[in-house]
Amino acid sequence: MNRSMLLAIGSLGVFLGLVVLLLLQPFLPRTTDETTRKLVVFCAAGIKAPIVTLAQQYQQAYGVEIQLQYGGSNTLLSQLQVAPLADIYIPADESYVAQAREKRLIAEVLSLASMKPVLVVSPGNPKKIADLADLLTREVKVSLAHPEATAIGKIVQNHLQATGQWDALAKRLAVQKPTVNDVATDVQLGAADAGFVWDITVKQVPELTVLPAGEMPAVKLSACIVRQTKQPTAALRFARYLASADKGGPVFAEHGYQPIQGDPWTETPELKLFAGSMLRPATEKIIQAFEEREGCRVTRVYNGCGILVGQMRVGQNVPDAFFACDREFMEQVGDLFEAGTTISANQLVILVHKGNPHNIKKLGDLGKPGLRVGIGHEKQCAMGVLTQRTLAEDKTTSLVMKNVTVQSPTGDMLVNQMLTGSLDAVVAYITNAAGHADKLEAIPINIPCAFAEQPYAVGKKSAHRYLAARLLDALRAEESREIFEKTGFTWKAP
Amino acid sequence: MNAESGRTSPPLKDPADAPFLLGAAALGGCYVLLVLAMLAANISYTTPAQVWQSLHTREIQYSIWLSLISSTLSAILSLWVAVPLGYLMSRFEFVGKRCLDAFLDIPIVLPPLVVGLCLLILFQTPPLRALQQYVPITYAVPSVILAQFAVAAAFAVRTMRVTFDQISPRREQVALTLGCSRAQAFWRVVLPESGRGMLTAFTLAWTRSLGEFGPVLVFSGATRLRTEVLPTTVFLELSIGNLYGAVAVSLLMILVSAVVLVVLRTLGTARL
Repeated sequence: MNRSMLLAIGSLGVFLGLVVLLLLQPFLPRTTDETTRKLVVFCAAGIKAPIVTLAQQYQQAYGVEIQLQYGGSNTLLSQLQVAPLADIYIPADESYVAQAREKRLIAEVLSLASMKPVLVVSPGNPKKIADLADLLTREVKVSLAHPEATAIGKIVQNHLQATGQWDALAKRLAVQKPTVNDVATDVQLGAADAGFVWDITVKQVPELTVLPAGEMPAVKLSACIVRQTKQPTAALRFARYLASADKGGPVFAEHGYQPIQGDPWTETPELKLFAGSMLRPATEKIIQAFEEREGCRVTRVYNGCGILVGQMRVGQNVPDAFFACDREFMEQVGDLFEAGTTISANQLVILVHKGNPHNIKKLGDLGKPGLRVGIGHEKQCAMGVLTQRTLAEDKTTSLVMKNVTVQSPTGDMLVNQMLTGSLDAVVAYITNAAGHADKLEAIPINIPCAFAEQPYAVGKKSAHRYLAARLLDALRAEESREIFEKTGFTWKAP
Repeated sequence: MNAESGRTSPPLKDPADAPFLLGAAALGGCYVLLVLAMLAANISYTTPAQVWQSLHTREIQYSIWLSLISSTLSAILSLWVAVPLGYLMSRFEFVGKRCLDAFLDIPIVLPPLVVGLCLLILFQTPPLRALQQYVPITYAVPSVILAQFAVAAAFAVRTMRVTFDQISPRREQVALTLGCSRAQAFWRVVLPESGRGMLTAFTLAWTRSLGEFGPVLVFSGATRLRTEVLPTTVFLELSIGNLYGAVAVSLLMILVSAVVLVVLRTLGTARL
């Protein structure tokens, strides 16, 4: 073998070595928490069956021990309050989720499945009851779980009160039972003629006959991540497994629940986010924290919103979520996204050098002879569009435009040009000046349309809709507000 | 070889040559001065402390690391394509050679952003979408290497073609008449002679890749700690109005590439 061949083979060796080095990714934060070997789950006793199956599957697949502790939703809630020693809390219905949230015991909430109350009669329907309306006119004994102590009792009562049927039912109410299973037993044995149970109860007691009773409101079953858990990433991963359409979904369906169409299961999901450049100073920290906590990856593409919208129109290159600089750009791709949530607002200002050497007070002053003015590009960015609209409203377009020496796609480019001294004044967002208070001065433009609002929306066809929605929750969390405000944004999140 | 013959500087024999040489030095010096002035202007906008500080952030360490590895990978890939392509273009006549020649310049002529856009569209086509179910490319690290390679290879091909053009086919023909096959003649005679050209092609592809920005931004995004390379860092810092940070990183970039190029050239002249 000669030297040339050695060189050729050597270059392949170097190539492979570098690829291996890339795959090792020494800089990435370790998303897989190696120390996680055990998760403690507080699980309402009534929903034990599907959770046990899924916990076993998960344990086998990933070697994480899932320790399930059963109890009444209320009891578990009290335990959490006294000693928050669980990682996940799965109560029987939403009311406990609301309570836990109010007491600040939980963080993320992942919907798993839903269930509905149904009207059942004794096996074979001996009294030949046709439906709920028929039942209310007949002399029959009805059994119901206690409306104050149980979720199903509460829901049935509220629903029938709303439809005006509660009073009629109350007359037929022979007994109130502590749990839904007692009601099922009553009806199965014939001690009561009819009763309200969950659709999943019928799955367990198939002898019961279901009658039509109109559309009953569904109850959502959710996994809540305990706020004080030491392993939020591992807990979220298991919760995502439970909620997934392809792992958790079929098991819940098998047990009679209506599964939600959750995100498909992957250990480390990937989210693609398109965001306006101007949002980066505020969002970057929040997204990094989100990635670390969820154990997911968020690929973010920052650019001028006009460019991003253009990229979305290429093929089917639609991100999981879009954080736009202005409502206008969100509307342009409204067909691709769910309704947006406004997170923040940004104000257009005139930025001048410290001390305002040219004595600029209002937009019209930018027309002073000899001034070098920079504005945003009228097509490429929301800021440019907004600037033009504001100038038009102020009726100073022609006056100012004759002094405009540069149009840039982003406000930060304009600020850079200011800092190098090649411009005297620019029209940009107040956020662009953040961090340059020692060099620049902002002069407010008091015209109503000089404001841009930044909405966040989840892609209609996103495979990770729930994850993208949780990113929204992270963005509008109270902790994020401080970061947004520090970078100059006005907080708008509901 | 011609590269070696021009190495020793000719002694200044005739004083009458002085005006000519001074003129040449003055004209050439203008450019050197421009580059020096640019560097000086850059340096005036930052402090050593700032450079040191940016060197210590994890994101920038990552982008240095990714920049070095991805440029090396794309340079190796470029060379693997450029050597055979340059050889074929230099030694053989075939139908459509002129067209192919012009065609190979497309990546050089196209605005970088367009290259990125082409790649982005290409990887949204059904077969490549299917492939990406298994190997993520768009917005992932492979896309960085691919974007760099797409442009750098064109430069490497040009260089290799010129290299082979300059190597006289005589020795190769002698080897052939002495019983070598084409492949043997290529490996034993042509390649050893083209060492310097390959080094030039490699460094050119490498520097191109290191500075590649447009295609990377469109095709790979600018995700911190994932697809962020040094030029992206500069852009990201600029795009949040952090002029001083951007300058610090660009100085860092100059430093890193200078070190690598000097090492490569020294190694190259010693060995080849």
